[in-house]
Amino acid sequence: MKLNTDGMKPLYVQISEWLETEILSGNIQKEEKIYSQYQLAEMFNINPATAAKGLNILADEGILYKKRGLGMFVSPRAKEKILKRRKNDTLKQLVWELVTEAEHLGLEEEELMEMIREVKEKGRG
Amino acid sequence: MKVIECRVLTKRFGRTKALNNLSFDIVENTITGLVGRNGAGKTTLLKIMAGYLQKTEGEIKAWGEDPFNNLQFSANMIFIDDNMPMPQTLSLMEILDWGSKFYNNWDMDIARGLLDYFSLAPGQFHQYLSRGLKSTFNVILGIAARCPLTLLDEPTTGMDAAVRKDFYRALLKDYLQHPRTIIVSSHLLNEIQDILEEVLLIREGAKCLHMSISDLKEYGIGLLGRREVLEKIVEGEEILHREELGEGTCYYVVRNTLKDQKIKEAKLAGVEIKAVTAEDLCVYLTAGKKGGIDSVFNEK
Repeated sequence: MKLNTDGMKPLYVQISEWLETEILSGNIQKEEKIYSQYQLAEMFNINPATAAKGLNILADEGILYKKRGLGMFVSPRAKEKILKRRKNDTLKQLVWELVTEAEHLGLEEEELMEMIREVKEKGRG
Repeated sequence: MKVIECRVLTKRFGRTKALNNLSFDIVENTITGLVGRNGAGKTTLLKIMAGYLQKTEGEIKAWGEDPFNNLQFSANMIFIDDNMPMPQTLSLMEILDWGSKFYNNWDMDIARGLLDYFSLAPGQFHQYLSRGLKSTFNVILGIAARCPLTLLDEPTTGMDAAVRKDFYRALLKDYLQHPRTIIVSSHLLNEIQDILEEVLLIREGAKCLHMSISDLKEYGIGLLGRREVLEKIVEGEEILHREELGEGTCYYVVRNTLKDQKIKEAKLAGVEIKAVTAEDLCVYLTAGKKGGIDSVFNEK
């Protein structure tokens, strides 16, 4: 992944989202040790304190847990937690932006729904 | 642990105050970016921290001692800038050899590896190098010395873009393996910000702010939209910057203390919300004359 250094999203958030994606895709399994802040710093060419901040977000949410002296590990229920939050926060936010933009453009609700259905069908076909 | 403690530090050159009541601490094993406009006092501050210059008033302590005229301290510190005096009779390799004799943690493998990577011939002489290559050699010294306190004053002057990128990566990698306290001054915050932990911004010799780079990046928020809409939104907020962009359009930068509700309202009113880069923010915070460069031309 390439970090976007001047976007709206802070680097540490991008790190935590990348780790979440790695967990969701199964590249990192539950109960497996996650990258250390130093490994992440080296991988993404960032300060280790920034990487630690990304890890700590996930630890605070219970997606990772600390084993004293051994580092951080993926919680057994990490996937569920990530999915739940992405649905509740990320997706809701995206929908909010979508609806706002549609209103700006004067789109009818049915038109918007039609566009969503279209994308869904195309994506499957 | 604090490596540098600075209390109400003032430095005068004749009648000019180069540093003015500066107070801050630098914590062990962090990388701090020292940022400020031309003439803000960056080099003076670094030279005082390096023990090259004596303070006028206040207190400066490095590991609890005054760095000025302190041999023990200078063995643990390296100061790199682009007018480092180098012996004219020694080749680059011989300079590195002398470095290894003076500095305890010196790593000759890294020094040789970097020399080779940046295509510097060991038998060359420093005074015949181009400006960019001089800077490159100087930072090789700075990295290989592995000093507990490493001070770099505009280390990338004259380097091309590829070398600058490689240098910052080399600095970060060596820091990860051998953590130490690094302070690096630069005009190009965009370039170094990713490897920084802290930023110390100075303005006219005084501290403007000192915070983590991630806090700095979230310090301000940019609002782009119709003037009359924006004026209502920014009322009561701390305005850091204001710019007119053509007919009726305005760009405001305010402290990032806006309530979520207000941001939503702004978005609904068609205001674009923009991230403010650390570099832009530093420019706004240290802006001298209100109105910027345009005002010079408008006055005529």
